[in-house]
Amino acid sequence: METFFFVFISTLAIGTALAMVISKNTVNSALFMVLHMLSVAGFYTLLNAQFLAVIQILVYAGAIMVLFLFVIMLLNLDEDEKVVSKIDFKQLISFTLALVVLAQLLYITGNYAGVLPELTGEPIAAVGTVEAIGDELFTTFLLPFEVTAILLTAAVVGAMLLAQKTSNVIDE
Amino acid sequence: MAEYVWLIVLIPLIGFLINGIGGLSSEAYRKQKTLIGTIATISVFIPFLIALQIFFGMGADSEPYVARLFTWIEAGSFSSEVAYRVDQLSIIMALVVTGVGALIHLYSMGYMKDDEGYWKFFAYLNLFIFAMLNLVLGNNLILLFLGWEGVGVCSYLLIGYWYGDMAKSDAAKKAFVFNRVGDFAFLVAMFLVFRAVGSLDFDIILNNLSAFTPEITFWVAVLMFIGATGKSAQIPLFVWLPDAMAGPTPVSALIHAATMVTSGIYLISRFSSMYVLTPEAMLIVAIIGGLTAIVAATIAITQYDIKKVLAYSTVSQLGFMFLALGSGGFIAAMFHVVTHAFFKACLFLGSGSVIHAMHHVEHELEHEGKDVHFDPQDMRYMGGLKKYMPSTYWTFLLSTFAIAGIPVFSGFFSKDEILAFVFNAGMGEYSYIYFALWGMAVLTAFLTAYYMFRLTLTTFHGTFKLPSKVKGAEDSEKYLHESPSTMTIPLWILGGLAVIGGFMGVPDFFVTTFTSSDIKINWLHAWLDGVTSDSALVLSYGTKWILVAIAILIAVFATVLAYRNYDNDKGEASDAALEKRFGSLYQVWSDKYKIDEIYDASIIQPTFKLSDRVLAVFDMKIVDGFVNAVGGTVRFFGSLLRFVQTGVVQTYALVFIIGVILVLSLIIF
Amino acid sequence: MEILNDLLNYLPAAIVAVGGLVVMMMDGYKAKSRLIYQTTMFFLAGALVIATYDLLYQEVGTLFSDMAASGSTAAFGTFIVVFGTFFTVILTHDYLIGVKHNYPQVYPLLMFCTVGMIVLATANDLVTVFIGLETMSISLYALAGIIRDKQLGVESALKYFILGAFSTGFFLYGIALLYGATGSTNLSEIGAYTDGSMIYWGGVSMLLVAFFFKISAVPFHMWTPDVYTGSPTTITAYMSTASKTAAIVALVLILERALPYAADQITSTMAIIAIMTMVLGNTVAMVQDNVKRMLAYSSIAHVGYLLVGLAAGTDLGFTAVLYYLLAYSLMNIGAFGVVAYYEKNHDVHFNNIESYAGLGYKQPLMGILLSVFLLSLAGIPPLAGFIGKYLVFAAAVEAGLINLVIIGVLASAASAYFYLRVMVYLYFKESKEPVKLMKPLRVYSFSLVVLAVLTLYFGILPAGITELIASYFSGNGLAIVP
Repeated sequence: METFFFVFISTLAIGTALAMVISKNTVNSALFMVLHMLSVAGFYTLLNAQFLAVIQILVYAGAIMVLFLFVIMLLNLDEDEKVVSKIDFKQLISFTLALVVLAQLLYITGNYAGVLPELTGEPIAAVGTVEAIGDELFTTFLLPFEVTAILLTAAVVGAMLLAQKTSNVIDE
Repeated sequence: MAEYVWLIVLIPLIGFLINGIGGLSSEAYRKQKTLIGTIATISVFIPFLIALQIFFGMGADSEPYVARLFTWIEAGSFSSEVAYRVDQLSIIMALVVTGVGALIHLYSMGYMKDDEGYWKFFAYLNLFIFAMLNLVLGNNLILLFLGWEGVGVCSYLLIGYWYGDMAKSDAAKKAFVFNRVGDFAFLVAMFLVFRAVGSLDFDIILNNLSAFTPEITFWVAVLMFIGATGKSAQIPLFVWLPDAMAGPTPVSALIHAATMVTSGIYLISRFSSMYVLTPEAMLIVAIIGGLTAIVAATIAITQYDIKKVLAYSTVSQLGFMFLALGSGGFIAAMFHVVTHAFFKACLFLGSGSVIHAMHHVEHELEHEGKDVHFDPQDMRYMGGLKKYMPSTYWTFLLSTFAIAGIPVFSGFFSKDEILAFVFNAGMGEYSYIYFALWGMAVLTAFLTAYYMFRLTLTTFHGTFKLPSKVKGAEDSEKYLHESPSTMTIPLWILGGLAVIGGFMGVPDFFVTTFTSSDIKINWLHAWLDGVTSDSALVLSYGTKWILVAIAILIAVFATVLAYRNYDNDKGEASDAALEKRFGSLYQVWSDKYKIDEIYDASIIQPTFKLSDRVLAVFDMKIVDGFVNAVGGTVRFFGSLLRFVQTGVVQTYALVFIIGVILVLSLIIF
Repeated sequence: MEILNDLLNYLPAAIVAVGGLVVMMMDGYKAKSRLIYQTTMFFLAGALVIATYDLLYQEVGTLFSDMAASGSTAAFGTFIVVFGTFFTVILTHDYLIGVKHNYPQVYPLLMFCTVGMIVLATANDLVTVFIGLETMSISLYALAGIIRDKQLGVESALKYFILGAFSTGFFLYGIALLYGATGSTNLSEIGAYTDGSMIYWGGVSMLLVAFFFKISAVPFHMWTPDVYTGSPTTITAYMSTASKTAAIVALVLILERALPYAADQITSTMAIIAIMTMVLGNTVAMVQDNVKRMLAYSSIAHVGYLLVGLAAGTDLGFTAVLYYLLAYSLMNIGAFGVVAYYEKNHDVHFNNIESYAGLGYKQPLMGILLSVFLLSLAGIPPLAGFIGKYLVFAAAVEAGLINLVIIGVLASAASAYFYLRVMVYLYFKESKEPVKLMKPLRVYSFSLVVLAVLTLYFGILPAGITELIASYFSGNGLAIVP
């Protein structure tokens, strides 16, 4: 059962990701991405990380993707904009290079099959709960957690800085 | 007290920084000439006092003290530390540098009064003192070499101080290039030493001389000596020193007479225990020294420019010192370094005072509205100056007595000791060569007395000749005046030292012959005995006295002869007579042995020709072709790079991916 | 209270973070820009004092349940970062007013960026490394784009952002692989791993790729010239010094603690990347006519020298790299500072080398300062740059990388050309049109003088600081925490 679910989700994730990149219409792309996010959430559930799965759906598939769609519609991008118009030299190179990297990565991970330690039972089930995550976040990962707050603040301030209209402040 | 030795080095540097930064950044500061001069002078005078304190705290048997300040670079077996060494040799040098230096700074305050770049001049002077102190106080060859290069740079800056004048900046370049030739040899010597011993520390080198094979010892000694011939103006590299007189006169006195040019003698004295192991190298040193002494002396007889006469005289006296070194008289050489610093500095400053006065005359005549131009350094326009400039005259005369070797004046003792050592060396190996050198040295001593009195008498005795020689300069003697007291005080101090300085090295046999006791009255000898490896004097009392008698006779004879020939305005007639008597030989002398021309014909012109005929073709056809090819290649790659550096972010990502593949392949496979 | 103790040991970052929040709020309440600047300086000065104290006295240990390290390398990195930021803010304030882009948001961003750098430089866990790196990068993306009325500024910021995100992907993938192989993200625990499965090597290479991007090693350098040219000059100084320092200190920590097992492979990789970086950086710098762009390529070249030290991989190599970072920060901030000063008096086109003709005499102090910094960058004794190069190459020789050193020395010798070329223009060319330079603010020239004096000081007396750094790597300095 688990294996079947995994194969299904994986196929879905890879398929939607590819579809998103190749799709000619930006709105379609965005919608494929939503699907992709959902399938990733599927992985989390498979790994007993229920909380993360929910957050993934809420934040990525929900909030962020809605924003994306808004932006796309507001910008009113040309529907006929083709991503794959004609194969030129540079794209050929890019494609080859991407293939090489993929081969290398497959080589790395391919050797990995079966090395993973088997983890089953109760402790695994407890990992993904809100309680377990909260506990870890505020003890072991306190520093990264707090710094993440700074990170987000910085991102907001940066966005404001880049978006605002007011120019130079001179008060001397 | 010796632990404060770093202050001696540091204070001149601070003086340099204050004047340099102050002058560079503030227009107003540059105008505070008295302040600038005072700061500069004090920052040399205080080190002198400290050196004096250290000196009084030492005895002849004091152990060398090494003040290790910090390690500069440490890497594997090589470490270079900044450490200053206080021993009997270095403290004497430090006293001379700071003492004479302080006096010359004081003098410069008057001499450079009207100069535009007053602050720059004093900053350079302080920098020079700093470099020179590094040279004499450094405890390893690296620090010595840094100082060695530093004084070279300062000398370059100061010779070309009036760089607006093409000839002067050429002279500066010449000095620099000739010095570099020597420096290169010195560097090679340093490498050899480091290879053999694995350290450049003086103590370690001198305690491990057995690590050298005889060949290495010989080559290190010869290469160091070649380095010294550059800095101390010996054959074949001496031609820069006369040209270096283009710098302001205080510079000539400080750098090109009293201190920098003697650094070669200091270097060889420092390594005396190595030199005595290789008699062949000693012989080379002696021959070069002796030849330089007589060659420069003969040139000096024919010169009319008072600074040129003094410059050749300096070269000649330096040759004397090297002759002493080569004969095993290391202490005698140091003795002559010290006395020479006194009287030659005094002579240069005196000549500066005369030039100052002649300049003033020219200036005043111009003020009168007369268009009169003459060379203020040419002694044929002078004469009778003793009436107008008594202080200059008397100090100049005293120093002339000293350099001529008239008894009881300082030069007498030091020169006599050198002659004794050369004669003494004749008793050992290579005896004929040393005897020949002794003969040359005696002749040089004669010439020295002769040309120095020629100079003094032509300049100060007789009548003032400018009014009769130059049209429009009638009555110009009313403008002659004595220099200000900032200039005459140093003159009197140096003149006084030139008179009494010799008593630090009165030979022991002056007393022991008569008392048959074992008394040591030669203070300097006792002082330096521990740090140098002097040869023993094997001469009998009789021989020694005969040598003294010869020296006195030569000096007095030359003096009397010069007096007869040059007093009462007879100078030019006598020179003409001399020219007639020696004919073509005189011509050779006055042409300075055509050494500059020989260099020109043998090195400079062929180089030009080579570059013109061969290299230019090579350059045009081959190098340019190659460069064009390289340029083309670079442009080709440049265009490739431009293709890559398109500003298109996808391309950037593409290159990124290539990097990823590269790194992955490197790590995995 | 353990957490209080941890916080005390992490005070510089805490102070800067609080400072950032405070100045951010001040902007919200429309405080005057001068006051914001002064408050920023106040917090930075406090952080600098504490960082200096930590540098000298902090105990070696780990904080926040092994997430961050304290003492030794971490304290050193913190110090350089705060030091660099301190001077950057002084220069930036004046510069931004001069080029009329003085936004109050710049100061909180600089502070947050500094927090990221400190976290990065003190990280003891890959998670912390990642968070620090991202905090730093996101702030830098924004800072790079503040000159918006010029096409170049926005464009370069966008490129920086896209490529940065790209490299972040690799970094995360690397962390994931390493976690998969070793079962931990803690540096020391990763360091205990000696199994050598393929996935481990994959993780190592991904990690290296991400770091190579951040420190702009060839061929991951493509963004550097564009971004460095497009950013405000003083921010460029900040990017090229503080952010590189933080990234390289983190890299040193990772190499030293987490990847000793991979040392051999890393050495050969680093050596090849170092050669490419030195050669490309120096050759391309040679043909640049824009001084700012020249300095951008020169900073790539300097990364090459740093990689030589990392390639050595010995204690001596790491010591050399840390010393080099200090020297490089001093001279590069200084050089960019003077360039910014010249630029401020005119406009961006003023960066063309032709327009530097005869400037050395206009404001002699600035001319001399630029000369000192350039000479140091060229590695001419007795300046700090020389000692840095010397130590790096000495370490590589000791490690037997002779070929690498030969190429490095040749490249470095060639580099003298383009540094001295600027000086030739400064002093030996007549300017075509009359240029009037304003007198620099006193605090501006004073801080540059401080940098120049330190450059000289560490060039003449490097022994003290090198001993301090060397003590980090001699056994007790980096006692690996279980």
